[in-house]
Amino acid sequence: MDIKKIAEYTLQKIRETGADMGRCSVKSGATTEIYYESGKISMIRTVFSGAVRIGIIDGQREGTAALNSFDTAEIDAAVAEAYEASKHAVADEAEGISELTENRDFVRGVREPDRAALYGLMRGFIDDTARDYPKISFDSISVNHGWSETCYMNTNGVELYESNGLSGFGAMFMGRDGEVTSSFNSVGGSFADTSVPLMDQGLTRQILAETELQTETVSVEGKFEGEIIMPPHFFEDVIYQVCGLFITDNVLIDGTSPWKDALGTAVAAPILNVVSRAACDELPGASALASDGYIAADADVIRSGELKTFLLSRYGAKKLGKERCPGWDGNLCVEPGTSRLEDMIKGVKKGLLVNRFSGGSPAPNGDFTGVAKNSFLIEDGKITRPVSETMISGNFSDILKNITEISCETVNNGSSVYPWAKTSGVTVSGK
Amino acid sequence: MLTDHIEKYVKEHGFDGYTEIRAQSNSSKRFALLKGTMVSNSAATSRGISARVVRGGAYGFASGNDYSPEGVASTVKAARDNAEFLESREKPGKPDFSPVAPVTRFDGPRVDDDLPRKFYADFSGELDAYIAKKYPGLVSRYVGASVLNMEKLLYTSDGTVSHSLVPRASVYVGLTAEDKDGQPVELFDALGDYGYFTDVFTGPESIFPKVDELFEKLMQKREGVYAEPGLKTVIFHPDLAGMLAHEAVGHTVEADFVLSGSVGGPCFGKQVASELVTMVDFANTAFGKRCPVPVYVDDEGVLACDAVLIKDGILTGYMHNRESAAHFGHEACGNARAYSFSDEPLIRMRNTCILPGKDKLEDMIASVDDGYYFVSTGNGQADATGEFMFGVELGYEIKKGKLGRAVKNTTISGVAFEMLKTVDMLSDDLSWVCTGMCGKKQPIPVGMGGPAIRCKVNVGGR
Repeated sequence: MDIKKIAEYTLQKIRETGADMGRCSVKSGATTEIYYESGKISMIRTVFSGAVRIGIIDGQREGTAALNSFDTAEIDAAVAEAYEASKHAVADEAEGISELTENRDFVRGVREPDRAALYGLMRGFIDDTARDYPKISFDSISVNHGWSETCYMNTNGVELYESNGLSGFGAMFMGRDGEVTSSFNSVGGSFADTSVPLMDQGLTRQILAETELQTETVSVEGKFEGEIIMPPHFFEDVIYQVCGLFITDNVLIDGTSPWKDALGTAVAAPILNVVSRAACDELPGASALASDGYIAADADVIRSGELKTFLLSRYGAKKLGKERCPGWDGNLCVEPGTSRLEDMIKGVKKGLLVNRFSGGSPAPNGDFTGVAKNSFLIEDGKITRPVSETMISGNFSDILKNITEISCETVNNGSSVYPWAKTSGVTVSGK
Repeated sequence: MLTDHIEKYVKEHGFDGYTEIRAQSNSSKRFALLKGTMVSNSAATSRGISARVVRGGAYGFASGNDYSPEGVASTVKAARDNAEFLESREKPGKPDFSPVAPVTRFDGPRVDDDLPRKFYADFSGELDAYIAKKYPGLVSRYVGASVLNMEKLLYTSDGTVSHSLVPRASVYVGLTAEDKDGQPVELFDALGDYGYFTDVFTGPESIFPKVDELFEKLMQKREGVYAEPGLKTVIFHPDLAGMLAHEAVGHTVEADFVLSGSVGGPCFGKQVASELVTMVDFANTAFGKRCPVPVYVDDEGVLACDAVLIKDGILTGYMHNRESAAHFGHEACGNARAYSFSDEPLIRMRNTCILPGKDKLEDMIASVDDGYYFVSTGNGQADATGEFMFGVELGYEIKKGKLGRAVKNTTISGVAFEMLKTVDMLSDDLSWVCTGMCGKKQPIPVGMGGPAIRCKVNVGGR
């Protein structure tokens, strides 16, 4: 099927309502997944999907509808539903659609899955793990290929198209030693080249090796405030928490963000540089289009510790009278620093290597508390013992301000690139 | 109601080995206001067909959004092709499942819940206006109304034909104030139940008392203190007991987690909790009433029944799909559930509940010399080790048997089968959380229930 034709049809139906403006997004895709669970490669799964999203604005009132059928009668009904909804919406001067600047097609990746190659990756990963990391027990492994195409059109004449096909994997596992198990741990990423064994992707080997050690843990006694080493996967979680809490549409519109007046000021250590990145060869999992109908572009979010932009969509920017960020829903990355990871660890007197955080939702001011999972004590410059039942608490804003070192080594998982970072001011407590 | 395109296919083609064919439609509506600004006014329908075929223990699954007679045929073919490919590579050589007694069940045509979009806008608007007028000092407020209707039509090669329809209605309220340092402090409440919107909520005014209660708690929280970290004696409000049942215990006794090494494996048949604790995953009816997420036939065509997980402190059961039940020699109780037409059934909880005891909540609080009373929770997570955590949005100090200052957001954690052994009081009442969603590869609606519980857990804090 031709999704551009479906988008054209949908847009024509939107125009026929007589509404002031409207937009539609039509998506089609196919995913092939090979799945491992309960000790065996258990399933091959093929999913064909489609979606039509409709937005209609009349009198600055917006109504939306979505369906996963390309049947014209059903699209007609959904357009009518969205138009009806717009009549009862709350009027908002900020409602609108993207302006026409440049219409483009972005075509990347491989469309057809190679089922035999995916199977080979899966089988190789299982066999490699059994040989090199015999204490690892998998809960699940997914090796997959996904292809999708998206066409966005609106009544301003914007026509944007993107298709991308790439492979990916994700594995959840634990260490087992007799009847003793470690915490769940995970690895994953997306990639274009299916000739690279999964064992050689990202930090897979290191994380499997660490997990084997985590069947015998200690609990921190009492509490202390020490330094924290954040590996790339945990550092990424922290950056997304910070951005969600402090610089996105909703928290700025409702005025609860502690950073609402922080544009142009120091919000982090001067060595921190956070960028939002659009699709590029280095990041095959990133998107070329922003979801509000624009071509995505790179953007500096934090440069030398200074907040350079809010992650505002078209709507958020209009609502607040501020600038839209061209990378507001792009892939956040942190630029490498100058420290060697080995030296960063050597400099820690007493602290924690935090691989994963399992905690409650942070408070709006960034306060968090939760369990440090798959984590290790660092004592006198050495990673010593894996810990369990150990909680950490602090404030996400403080974590960024207290960063003292960022590694020159980075890890690319296909969708983002992050280094390791060292920070402080986090309370570590045990039983 | 879903048109039945499957029956004709089955009559013409029959089944070739173990096969499930499922048509499904999830339809949702949502209207939401953030500080009076509309942030959602949406309706969505996701409908399609899936098939799962088993060949010698190898599963092939396929799904598509083309729910037509041709779509049924091509989906079954694609699933069969996947199963045959995998069987040819892995050669598992397992026999098909032993047949289960076929079930025929129809929930009947969908009750007309097609309320106009205006209804949800007016409902939310009236609720928002009440908050804005009565509590003008709030920094922010959030009001959302939503519905999710899940309809499934299942045919299996065992002869099961099942049509199910599960509607769910929810209202979300969030209030944000500033504390004395100008920092935002917030509280959310999620209300809802099985049923169509107007069956669950008689009108916005029915929620006003809940808003007033939430505001009062928020005022206490803004004066709150950080919890003192460490192992503490705590009382969980009944609303938290369900989360405890789900996160701390439920996940560790899902048979797929057990097979991959969860701590639930070696503990089977052993004392894992105090003798006061009995825990059941109810299928559809508990204490003579319909559960929040009633399941009568699961997505493998198994007639659903209750799964007793812990009986008087002894771990007595797991939750199963047909394969794991056969592996362990247990009974499958109907826990195989899929969220969307494009999802394969996974082992999922349904209505997991710690059964009530004989104590009174006030006596439980009075019994604590130095501890906490936790009343509101957010998210939670389980682990293979049995270590669990969940976020606490609101709690109170207990000092010498009396409630004290409110406690700010914290997280509690423990090791399930160690923590459950410390349970020494259970209240005689019961509360169900009816708006829960569990995430495990797929989201799925779940019910969580229990009484107030006194136990020892690790509290995060400063």
